[in-house]
Amino acid sequence: MTSPPDIPFAIDARDLRLTLGEGDAAVEILRGIDLTVPSGQTLALLGPSGSGKSSLMSVLTGLERATSGSLNVAGADFAHLDEDALALARRGRIGIVLQAFHLLPTMTAQENVATPLELAGVRGAWQRAAEELEAVGLGHRLTHYPAQLSGGEQQRVAIARAIAPRPPLIFADEPTGNLDASTGTSIVDVLRRREETGATLIIITHDKGLAEKCDRVVTLADGLIASDSAAR
Amino acid sequence: MSTLGWAQAWAIARRDLHRQFRGLRLLLVCLFLGVGALAAIGSLTSAIRGELDAQGQVLLGGDFEVEVYQRSLTDEENAFLREYGELSQGLRMQAMASTEDAAAPVELKAVEDNWPLYGALTLIDGRSVGAPLGDDAWVAEGVADRLSLQVGDRFSLGRTPLTVAGIIDEEPDRLSEGFSLGQTVIVPYEIPEQAGLTLPGAMYETKTRLRFDGNYDPNSVETAVEDAFPEAGLDIRTRDRASPGAERFVSRMGEFLTLVGLAALVIAGIGIGGGVSSYLQARRASIATLKILGATSKDIARIYTLQIGAAAVLGSVAGLLAGIMVTPLLATALGSLLPVGHALILDPASLFRAAAFGLLVAMIFAAPPIMRAREFPAMALMRSRVSPIAEGWKSAALPVLIGLVGIALLALVGSPTPGLSAVFMGGALVMLGLLSLLGMAIRGAAKKWPRPANPIVRAALANLYRPGSATGALVTALGFGLAAFVLLASVQTSLNGNIERSVPAIAPDYFVLDLPVDRVNEFTTMVEEAAPGSQINATPTLRGTVIAYGPENNPNVVAEMQEFPDGTWGLRGERGMTYSPTVPQGNVLTEGEWWEEDHAGEFLVSIDEELARAAGLQLGDIITVSILGVQKTARIANFRRLDWESLGFNYVFVFSPNTLADAPHNVAATVAFPSGTEPGTLLRDLARAFPSSSVIEVGPILTEARNILDQVALAILAAASVAVLAGIAVLLGAIAAARAARIYDTVILRVLGASRGQLLGLQFAEFGLLAALLAGVALALGVGIAWLIITQLFEFDWLPDWTEILAVLGAGLVLVLVFAFTASFPVLRAKPAQTLRSL
Repeated sequence: MTSPPDIPFAIDARDLRLTLGEGDAAVEILRGIDLTVPSGQTLALLGPSGSGKSSLMSVLTGLERATSGSLNVAGADFAHLDEDALALARRGRIGIVLQAFHLLPTMTAQENVATPLELAGVRGAWQRAAEELEAVGLGHRLTHYPAQLSGGEQQRVAIARAIAPRPPLIFADEPTGNLDASTGTSIVDVLRRREETGATLIIITHDKGLAEKCDRVVTLADGLIASDSAAR
Repeated sequence: MSTLGWAQAWAIARRDLHRQFRGLRLLLVCLFLGVGALAAIGSLTSAIRGELDAQGQVLLGGDFEVEVYQRSLTDEENAFLREYGELSQGLRMQAMASTEDAAAPVELKAVEDNWPLYGALTLIDGRSVGAPLGDDAWVAEGVADRLSLQVGDRFSLGRTPLTVAGIIDEEPDRLSEGFSLGQTVIVPYEIPEQAGLTLPGAMYETKTRLRFDGNYDPNSVETAVEDAFPEAGLDIRTRDRASPGAERFVSRMGEFLTLVGLAALVIAGIGIGGGVSSYLQARRASIATLKILGATSKDIARIYTLQIGAAAVLGSVAGLLAGIMVTPLLATALGSLLPVGHALILDPASLFRAAAFGLLVAMIFAAPPIMRAREFPAMALMRSRVSPIAEGWKSAALPVLIGLVGIALLALVGSPTPGLSAVFMGGALVMLGLLSLLGMAIRGAAKKWPRPANPIVRAALANLYRPGSATGALVTALGFGLAAFVLLASVQTSLNGNIERSVPAIAPDYFVLDLPVDRVNEFTTMVEEAAPGSQINATPTLRGTVIAYGPENNPNVVAEMQEFPDGTWGLRGERGMTYSPTVPQGNVLTEGEWWEEDHAGEFLVSIDEELARAAGLQLGDIITVSILGVQKTARIANFRRLDWESLGFNYVFVFSPNTLADAPHNVAATVAFPSGTEPGTLLRDLARAFPSSSVIEVGPILTEARNILDQVALAILAAASVAVLAGIAVLLGAIAAARAARIYDTVILRVLGASRGQLLGLQFAEFGLLAALLAGVALALGVGIAWLIITQLFEFDWLPDWTEILAVLGAGLVLVLVFAFTASFPVLRAKPAQTLRSL
C-alpha cells in the first residue's frame, strides 16, 4: 500500500447529507456521513439495500451534489463545484465502475475505453485503450460492441475503461454482483493490480469475502455509518 | 483539461453516430423535404425571372413597343419614335386561312422585313429566319396539320394566295403576344391590307417596335411619348416588362410556392424538434455515461451538436440535390407557359437560401432539446426513465433567437416578396405559440379531470399529463400535420371550383369578328341553312379611348390624371365599345332608363355599374370618347350589371345607336349551334364567303384554357404535396416517439395482466381523444390559411368543396390512428420477459 505524498487523504467528508425530492415527497438518503479515506487505502462499503451505499458513491464521485456538508475528493472541494467543474474534477482522477456497466452501446470495446482518455486529452489514447483491454484479457475483443460481449466481458471492459486514465481514486459498485464466482475472482484480481500502483480503491459490495480482502470495511445503515473497522 | 476540442468532439460524435444514425431519420427526412422544396421552387422561379429579364428584348421583339388598335401609327408618331432608333411595324388580327378543302381560324401576324429586331424565328427544319418575303408565310404546325399543308403548298388568306415557306418551331416574341385565339401565321406586313382585312372598322392592332440606337432609358422614352401624344391611346411596353402577364404569373406562383416551401419547412421544423428530442431521449444513457467519464456540459453540447449538425447537413445536401433534380420536371410541367429550359438549373443564391433556411430552422428546433440534455446532471439522466429530461427553454434562448433573426434576415433580404415571407413566418410563429398553449391547456384539463374507474381509460388520461408526456409535441405535430391536409384540400378544391366556373358549360361555338355591317343577314342565312335553330347574336364593334368623364361642367380629363381610382380599368387605354337600341342580352338595367329604339336626340351612353361606382359617375354625367380620331360626347342615361360569366359579348360602354352608327365599323357575332349539330363545311364556306372576316372556334380555346389551368393546378399540387409529405413524416415521427416512450409502460401493463385488446384500447383512447380535439383546430387553421391564399394571393373566389375537405381530414385522422396502432403491434406481440430484458 503506497500513498501519493502530496494528497494525504483521498476523501475527506464531513456531515454529508443528501435529500431527494421536495416538500412532503422529500426523502433523506444520507443523514450525516463523516468519512476520511487515506490515499492508497482499499475500502469496502457494506450495507443492506436502501442503506445509501450507491448514493454515497454518487456523492463521493461528484455524480450527485450533496445537499449539505463538506467534501474534499482528491484535493478538490466537491461541495463548491458546479456540474461542469465536477466533471472536470473526475477526468483522470476518478475511475468509476458501475453496477450496470453502462458501456456506450454504439461504440466498440476499444472505443469505450479510449473515450475517457480522449476526454482527458491523453495522447495515444487509442493504443492505450488496446493495452488496457489486453491487460484484462480482452485483446481479442477490441472491435466487439457491448451487445456482442458476455456479462463478464462487459464488466471487464467497464473496469478497463475506469482504470485506463490511471486515476488515483477508483470506485466500483458491486463489481462482482452479476458474475459467477470465477469471473468475479478475475475481476477482483484486476482491481487489486490497480491497488498495487497506489491508487485508492473503494468497493461497494455485498460479498463478505471480497470485503475481507480490503484494508477497511465501512458498513452503512439507514443513511448513516453503522460501523467502521479494519477487516484485515 | 478543459472543454474538448472540436476535432476530439467530432471523433467521439462520429463513433457514436455511425451505429445510431437511424435515430435521426426523422430529422433527415424533414430537412430533405423542406430544403428540397425550397431549393426547387427558388431555382425554378429565379430561372424564369432571370430568363424574363435577360430575354426582355427578344421576348418583346425590341427595346420598346407601341400598340394601337384599328390603325397604324401616324407619320408624326413614327417620326417621334424614329428619333430613338430603328422601327419595325407589325400587325396582329384574327383571320381565316383556307384551302380548297378546309378552313382554319388563325392568329395573323404581319411583320416588316426587319422583324425580328432581336432574336430569330426557328423553323422545325432547323433554319433560323427573319420575316417572310413576297407571298411566303411561316405557319404554325397546328395550321399546317389542320389544312394538310406541307412546305411549298398554297393556301389563302381572305382571297390572297400565299405559299407555306416553313413551319414554325419557335417564335422569339411569342410570350409577349399573350394568350392567342388561334395558331400563328406570319406574313409580310403588306398582306393584310392586300387581302382587304384592314378596312376601316376592322378589328386589328398594330405593334410598332423600336430598337434603340443609343443608351436610352425605356421609362424616360415612355414618359416622353406619353407627353407628346397624350390622347393617342397608345399602349406602351418596354423590354424590362416585356411580358407583364407572365411576370405577374411567375410572381404569384413564386409567392405561393415560396409559402408552400416555408410551410413545409415549418412543419419539418416541428419534426426536427421531435426527432432531436426522441434521439436525445434514446441517447440518455450514453449522455449520462459520458458525463460520468468526465464530459462537461459543453462537451455534451459539442458532441450532440456535431451529430445533429452532421445529420442536418446531410439532409440539407440531399434536399438540395433532390431540388436540383426535380426542377426539370417542374419546368416541363410549366414549360409551355413560361420561358424556362428543361435542363438542370443551378442557381447558387436559391440553393444557399434553401440550405440556410433549413439549417436555421434545424437550429431553432434542435437547440432546446440539446440544451436540456447538456444541462442535466448525470445521475438525473440515469433516473430519467421515471423522471424524464425536464422541460426548459431559457438556456436555448440564444441559439433560438439567433436562428429567428437569421430567418427574418433571409426572408427580408434578397427575397422577391419580403413582406409576404415575413408575415408568413410571423403567422407560423403565432400558430406554434397557440398550439403550445393548446397543448398546455389539454394537459391541464386532463390533470383536473376526475379519475375514470376503468384503469385503461385512466391510464390513457394520465398519459396526457404525466411527467414526460408527449402531449405538447403531439398537439403541435398533429395540429400542423392535419392542418396541412386541410390546407391542401381547400386550396385544390377552390382552384378546381374557379377553373370549373371560368370555363362555362354553355358557351357559343363560334365567335365571328369583322363581319361587314351590310352582310349580317347573308351571314345569318348561311348559318341557319347549315345548322338550323342556331342562336346568333350580332353586335356592332368599335374601339375607342375615353378622353374625359364626370360632371358636364367639370369633367376629369384622362390625359391629365396621374392616378386612377381602383376598379376604373375601363377608363384607361383603348376599349371595345358598341351601340344598341335595346338592353344587351344577359345585361340587367340597375339604374336609369334605356333609350327609345329609334332615339334621335342627345347622344346617350349606358355604363357598367361597377365601373360607374369606382369612378364616382352619376346619371347625367358625360363621357367623351375618341373613336378613329373622332371625339363624341354622350350623357350617361343608365347603369347596367354585366354577366361576365356568359362568355358572350360584354361591353362596359354601350351607346345609343345615333352616337356611333355613322362611324366605320364591323359587327361581331356569336353562334351557338343546337345541341348535337355538326356544322359540316360551314367554317370553310364562311371563310370563302366572308374573306375579310375571321371565325374563332371556342371549343379548342376552352380546351387550351383548361389545359393551362390544369398545368398550373398540377404544379401547385406537386409543390403542396411536399408540405403534406412533411406533415405525414412529422405525424408519424411524433407518434413513433410517443410510442417509444410508452414501450416501458406497455410492457409493465402486460406483466400486470393487461390484454392486447385493452392496450390497443388505451392507444385508441389517447390518440383518438387528441386527434378529435385537433381535427377542429386543424380545420380552422387549414381553411383559414387556404382562404388567405385563394382570396388574397391569387385573388380567386373562395369555392371550397367541403365534402372533399372533410374527407381528407377524416383520412388524416384515420392515418393517425392506424399508425398509432401499427407502432404498438411489435411491443404487443413480443413476450414481456423478452422486452423487459431489452429495456
